[in-house]
Amino acid sequence: MDIEKIRKDFPVLSRMVRDRPLVYLDNAATTQKPAAVIEAITGLYRNYNANVHRGVYLLAEECTQAYEDSREAVRRFINAGSTEEIVFTRNATEALNLIAYTWAEANLRAGDEIVVTIMEHHSNYVPWFRLARRKGAVIRIVPARKDGELDMDAYRSLLSSRTKLVGIAHMSNVFGTINPVKEMIALAHRQGAAVVVDGAQSAPHIRIDMQDLDCDFFALSGHKMLGPTGIGVLYAKSSYFKSMEPFLSGGEMILRVTLDDIVYNDLPWKFEAGTPNYEGAIGLKAAIEYLEALGMDTIEAYERELTTYALEKMRTVPDIFVYGPSDPSKKCGIVAFNIRGVHSHDIGTILDSEGIAIRAGHHCAQPLMIDCGVSAMARASFYFYNTRQEIDMLVKALNKAKGMFGHVA
Amino acid sequence: MSLEELFKEIIIEHYQHPKNHGHLDHPDAKSEGSNPLCGDELQMEIAFEGDRIKDVMFSGNGCSISQSAASLMTEAIKGKAVGDARRIMEEYKHMLQGSTYNADMLGDLEALSDVKKFPARVKCASLSMAVLDQALQQKK
Repeated sequence: MDIEKIRKDFPVLSRMVRDRPLVYLDNAATTQKPAAVIEAITGLYRNYNANVHRGVYLLAEECTQAYEDSREAVRRFINAGSTEEIVFTRNATEALNLIAYTWAEANLRAGDEIVVTIMEHHSNYVPWFRLARRKGAVIRIVPARKDGELDMDAYRSLLSSRTKLVGIAHMSNVFGTINPVKEMIALAHRQGAAVVVDGAQSAPHIRIDMQDLDCDFFALSGHKMLGPTGIGVLYAKSSYFKSMEPFLSGGEMILRVTLDDIVYNDLPWKFEAGTPNYEGAIGLKAAIEYLEALGMDTIEAYERELTTYALEKMRTVPDIFVYGPSDPSKKCGIVAFNIRGVHSHDIGTILDSEGIAIRAGHHCAQPLMIDCGVSAMARASFYFYNTRQEIDMLVKALNKAKGMFGHVA
Repeated sequence: MSLEELFKEIIIEHYQHPKNHGHLDHPDAKSEGSNPLCGDELQMEIAFEGDRIKDVMFSGNGCSISQSAASLMTEAIKGKAVGDARRIMEEYKHMLQGSTYNADMLGDLEALSDVKKFPARVKCASLSMAVLDQALQQKK
């Protein structure tokens, strides 16, 4: 990969921050956008904007086609069997809530068990927690081992015929751990449980294949993979989508409405009430095409190399503690850490003064913070447009932060 | 903006060696608060003697700004009448908002005056004031 050439595709990467070149290392929060994505969105509004699935005129046809082409691009990107299985949502959070309020609402009973991992982002925990409260269901937590990987023995022993739903982060937004979802899905299916995979972190970095994983539901967020904000995807096997009641109601999701009867629309539109975010979908298609042109395997290999380099260099900072797997083959693109004596917010502010953007805080994963015995962590997260030089600048700034607070006994 | 304005020596000193840190044996008022975004956590305990803040202690964890502010704030109000403490808190609030304030009343708390140049950190500096305010409201 020609990183210098790639960086030129991202207008924001050439800007200065506090009189220094921007070093953007908060990619797990959101990624920057290539010109192709920005132009796809402005191109829509300059050339063919019209509401989709409604008009009989040329603009509406073009816009509808572009929207549905985006669905096909998502299908191809995650290797789903059919576009019937691709529903556009606002983000991964909305996709996960859609499952909670439709399939899970209809299928879980008091005493049923929901198995989720300690690594979940709040978006794949809070909906199940609330569902469990509503239903009298029980939540079981898969713990993490000291090395930042899931305790698979514990997972196996948690599964039983009572397990109705399993929720797994494909990739931890804190540890960066890539969880063995394929194996976990097969184990859950043996007990008859449905499996929800939160792919918000994995889809940007590794090849996603619905045929290979065989999960029942998969959620992703467009803005974490070069796309615009406000567009996400829920994949569900069509057998699930067919059995599910609609989530939101209104226009688009119906075929026929009379005063005493309603016929719902076909899949996937049954789950897309109201005017959809076609702007977001069209932007997401441009993002997917950008990723496909680079190749997901190439992206993963480059990021793994970058992560390996980062782990090696960051460990040289005095009093640093790095969370998650130390084996770079078990993770991708994320390094969470603390430096003894320097709170992560202070690290964040000191790095910002050097033009370096990282995240500090609980990362919407408070159960995992509690499990690690901390209230906050700093996190550097990379994408394919980051470089070794940027990691060197990060490490230099971390040493500066440590120096400012001196050595604490 | 420079980092030295934010991380003044006195702030780092209070962060690393906080005053009034711990718990009271018999607090008359207790309160707690947090910054949900960043995870700063703070508890305040107060013992009153008549209208006076006889003793105050804080506990919790968080960044240098939130913890040093708690240390400096407890130092500023300890032994003061509740009304005087409230006036100090009011001046402190003005300072963080960038309005004019009475520096004499604030004393060492003025070390936090440059936090206003770091908008993302104003919440850290405000936390102890908010938690203290809750505790003072418990005074009968």
